[in-house]
Amino acid sequence: MREITYAEAVREALRQAMEADDRVFLIGEDVGVYGGAFGVSAGLVDQFGTERIIDTPISEAGIAGAITGAAMTGMRPVGEIQFMDFVTLSMEQLVLQAAKIRYMFGGKATVPFVLRMPGGAGTGAAAQHSESLESWFVHVPGLKVVAPSTPYDAKGLLLAAIQDDNPVIFVEHKLLYKQKGPVPEEMYTIPLGQSNVVRQGQHLTVVATSVMVSRALEAGKQLAEEGIELEVIDPRTLKPMDCGPIVESVKKTGRLLVVHEAVRTGGFGGEIVASVAESEAFDYLEAPIRRLAARDIPVPYNKKLEAAMIPQIEDIVAEARRLVKGEY
Amino acid sequence: MAKPQIMPKFGFTQETAEIVRWLKGEGDQVDQGDPIAEVTTDKVNMEVEATASGILAGLRYKEGDIVPVTEVIAYILEPGESLPGNGQEAARPAAEAPAPPAEAAPQPAEAPAREEHVRVTPVAEQYAREKGVDLSKVTGTGPGGRVTRADIDRYLETAEPEVPGKVRATPAARRIAREQGVDLVEVRGSGPLGRVQGWDVQEFAARPQPAAVQPEPVPQPAAAPAPAPVPAGEEQVIPLNNVRRLIADRLQRSFQEAPHVYFDADVDTTRLEALRKRANEKLAEGQPGISLTVLLVKAVAWALIRHPLINSRLEEDGIHLLPEINVGVAVAAESGLIVPVLRQANLKPVTQLAAEMKDLVDRARANRLRPDDVSGGTFTVSNLGMFGVDRFTAIINPPQTAILAVGRTRKMFVPDENDQPVLKPVMTVTLGADHRVVDGAVAARFLADVREALEHPEMMVI
Repeated sequence: MREITYAEAVREALRQAMEADDRVFLIGEDVGVYGGAFGVSAGLVDQFGTERIIDTPISEAGIAGAITGAAMTGMRPVGEIQFMDFVTLSMEQLVLQAAKIRYMFGGKATVPFVLRMPGGAGTGAAAQHSESLESWFVHVPGLKVVAPSTPYDAKGLLLAAIQDDNPVIFVEHKLLYKQKGPVPEEMYTIPLGQSNVVRQGQHLTVVATSVMVSRALEAGKQLAEEGIELEVIDPRTLKPMDCGPIVESVKKTGRLLVVHEAVRTGGFGGEIVASVAESEAFDYLEAPIRRLAARDIPVPYNKKLEAAMIPQIEDIVAEARRLVKGEY
Repeated sequence: MAKPQIMPKFGFTQETAEIVRWLKGEGDQVDQGDPIAEVTTDKVNMEVEATASGILAGLRYKEGDIVPVTEVIAYILEPGESLPGNGQEAARPAAEAPAPPAEAAPQPAEAPAREEHVRVTPVAEQYAREKGVDLSKVTGTGPGGRVTRADIDRYLETAEPEVPGKVRATPAARRIAREQGVDLVEVRGSGPLGRVQGWDVQEFAARPQPAAVQPEPVPQPAAAPAPAPVPAGEEQVIPLNNVRRLIADRLQRSFQEAPHVYFDADVDTTRLEALRKRANEKLAEGQPGISLTVLLVKAVAWALIRHPLINSRLEEDGIHLLPEINVGVAVAAESGLIVPVLRQANLKPVTQLAAEMKDLVDRARANRLRPDDVSGGTFTVSNLGMFGVDRFTAIINPPQTAILAVGRTRKMFVPDENDQPVLKPVMTVTLGADHRVVDGAVAARFLADVREALEHPEMMVI
């Protein structure tokens, strides 16, 4: 299969969705001629014109409000927030309006939009351009939250998100945009709410999200040389989360490590840990469940400090080794 | 100001270093960077360099002393300056006093805060933090009573749970213990802080000694696994495992506390054997065969209904007559002796008792008995007939009141009504009873009913 980048996979999903369905359009800051801050929408304006690839003023609340209204009137809009951090400006529209409209109108209105936003650090973009805020949205009933970790998942999940009748927060990752992987040319969807066991192993279950999936896989490769086999699971959809494969895996391995880039306190890892602790897998645990997450600080600008704040491959290797060797 | 000169830390895991020799003496002028002492760590010799220029003073250790890293070993003074702390602590010249290093000397000025706490090497402190160990609980054996990494390892190996009566165990270990009927207290944990892991329980349960259940050992020569032949001239010790110890304690207590009295009866088993044969020929599909033991249990239960005093327990406040008739049966499992209990044996048909017995024996042999299976007995039957024993006496299984010991069935000539010798199958049963509870006449009447039930099993339908 041909390989394309994560950014290209997102773009291809957008193009194919727009070709297939006139109701789909893209709206955001600099998504048109400029092609988006990370080049995701490059060239789309040439194909679809400025009516369907809409540049907005710098107003995230405006983007969120526009897609909410458009979705209610029958369109299937895709919004783009240039950096996930700026989604803070659109919270009222997302949390109080978009998430609740379908419920409050007794199902008579739906809000089928996708709001894409690149999160994550690692680019030296400092504290206001590097955050991972996905757990804020997971906490809001009415929103779905998706965080693809590969080009294949990005395309399949974005097409599924566009088809979904609910507002979907689509969390991309800046460091993944240039990552390549096999992606089918035709349209396909990956159902929202399906975890993916990306590596099989019997010693430790590692649940990782977004960019941490590839780091966990690399850690798994290194540890395999020591005879430690990680089972790596990517939930892909954070809400609704598919806990089944995680529970089954923990029953097999007896150990769980959760890795994410967001800061530890209040991070999505806590939700995974709690779900497993509540499940039948509890009776199979052989060690405390551990979380590996960013430190509870704003993302530093200094590259070394930034790297030190966020779990790296060697951190996963070390923590997994400790867990498997029975140090906890 | 006097500059403290500390024992440097050369290696990541280094806790101490030994002073091989002082290169400068008390009162010598030193320049910054001058080597002042040669020290060794893990057989690598290093030099300690002066961190300032001045007069070396207050040497606190002698050659050969082992000093924790970061400990002050000397001071460098400016001219005219005296040592900190009244200057009294000063020199312990190399040749002097054998008092333990550091311990005897007053703490140097920079360390008062630490002194309030446990003395610990930096490496051990870090290690304790990693392991979540409360240092105040660890006994230090390092220089000056300091806690070293090895002390923490020792502590971790022997650590008791902090909550009395609680066991550190993983959820998996708890589940497996529940499934296998293992008491976690018995299991040695291999995890951090002695935590019991799932595999610890599995290993424990798989061991030949069935500490997996709390056996009510039957009081008689136990079917202990035969030890290997002892080489001539050598004594061999079999350590008492928990089961053996329990058996020993209970039997000793029973035999000391309860005055045992024994009654024999020879039983003609002609009809019982005929009944057993006929019953086994008519078994329904899949039903387990009816053994002599099961018939013995039924007969004993039948007799116990008529003699409630035998089905009793002596306590401080009197003799408790027990509402249920639960008959324990001694089983020689490969792992040792266990006594599964057939509950309410008087109320159940023999076929059901046979089925329950088979299940209990199967699970006993597989070490899968639950505590419930071996507790609550009110009377015990011990049958050693299959081992060729003619007759024997048994020690009462406390807190029960009586026990029936059963020998093998053998052919004997017995006189018939015309005093002519007739060949009969005969089995000797011996009732052991607690004479505190049971008078001879009571025991005799009970035994007579047992014999009645065994010789005329049809009576059991009455």
